[in-house]
Amino acid sequence: MAQLPPHHLAWAESIGIVSRDMDFLLWFEETAFSTWMRESGPAFFSSLVLHSVAMGFVVGVHVATDLRVLGVACRVPLSLMRGFLPVAWVALWVVVASGALLLCAYPTKALTNPLFYVKLLAVLAALLIARSLTRGLLGDDNHDAGPLPRKARVLAALSLALWAGAITSGRLLAYTYNLLMASHQT
Amino acid sequence: MVEALFAFGEKSGIHALMYSTWGWPAVESLHFIGLVLLIGNVGVFDLRMIGLARGIPMRALHRLVPWGIAGYALNALTGFLFVVSAPDQYLFNPAFQTKLSLMAVAGFNVLVFYRFVWARVAPADAGEDAPRGAKIAAAVSLTCWVGVIVCGRLITYYRPPYHWCFWC
Repeated sequence: MAQLPPHHLAWAESIGIVSRDMDFLLWFEETAFSTWMRESGPAFFSSLVLHSVAMGFVVGVHVATDLRVLGVACRVPLSLMRGFLPVAWVALWVVVASGALLLCAYPTKALTNPLFYVKLLAVLAALLIARSLTRGLLGDDNHDAGPLPRKARVLAALSLALWAGAITSGRLLAYTYNLLMASHQT
Repeated sequence: MVEALFAFGEKSGIHALMYSTWGWPAVESLHFIGLVLLIGNVGVFDLRMIGLARGIPMRALHRLVPWGIAGYALNALTGFLFVVSAPDQYLFNPAFQTKLSLMAVAGFNVLVFYRFVWARVAPADAGEDAPRGAKIAAAVSLTCWVGVIVCGRLITYYRPPYHWCFWC
């Protein structure tokens, strides 16, 4: 069985987020689809472009909603911010699909980088906060005007921090990977 | 132009920052955060004019726009840092040239919007549709900013001198 040597990943392996088993990654990156995603320029770059544009709408709509919860544009009836959520949802599916395609292109690069899991967890946590705010405050029009509970404002601020963290860790994936492809391992 | 920008980058310490270990990735991350502020806050305002969330009074929603402008300012600054740090990679890059052109169109659209359209849109209260001119300005705005993101992402694809385009 092929092994992943660098010991600086030991902590990540010990909590089970990276695997030393390279056999699966070796097989995956040599499938015809993975090779095509990597080697046909337009497939890779259109996924990258879609991932960025759709990310802008997913995060952008949530940031606008968080700012409203924090008191910016406080005369906007809060429950009506739900009107923009369908845009964020469509964009989220584009983000997930394009992200999956990018993962197919370089599975080893992402899956052996602990930061990739940090990014996924930040996105997941931010989306859970969004769901909690949507079902709670945005769900009825009692909160349309007036100051919001402290707990809601803390969640909105946390959401902004998580989105910033997800973006930063996503960008850093291009710089911090341990191994680009399993086949590069000696 | 390239020489002047490069010399400025050397003298001002911008190169020292950008070519430090985490300089370039950190500024890139800020550039993406600015992107989100711009497309999010200006985007929801545009979407309201196009017809989403019509229950929101226009003037109330407009209070988000300064946060979009802050995102624009952050990106103008961080974008300038990139250009100064590798001027030849940007100035001769067709994706970058297209990006600047779209930003110019978006800027002209902003001027036309506030000069001729905003006074008629601002009174649009809860439930009121925005006038046709506002819908057009909103569509132009969204199209331009999406185009700007697309071109920004493609800058790494069209690195000079290994590219082809019809005006290159």
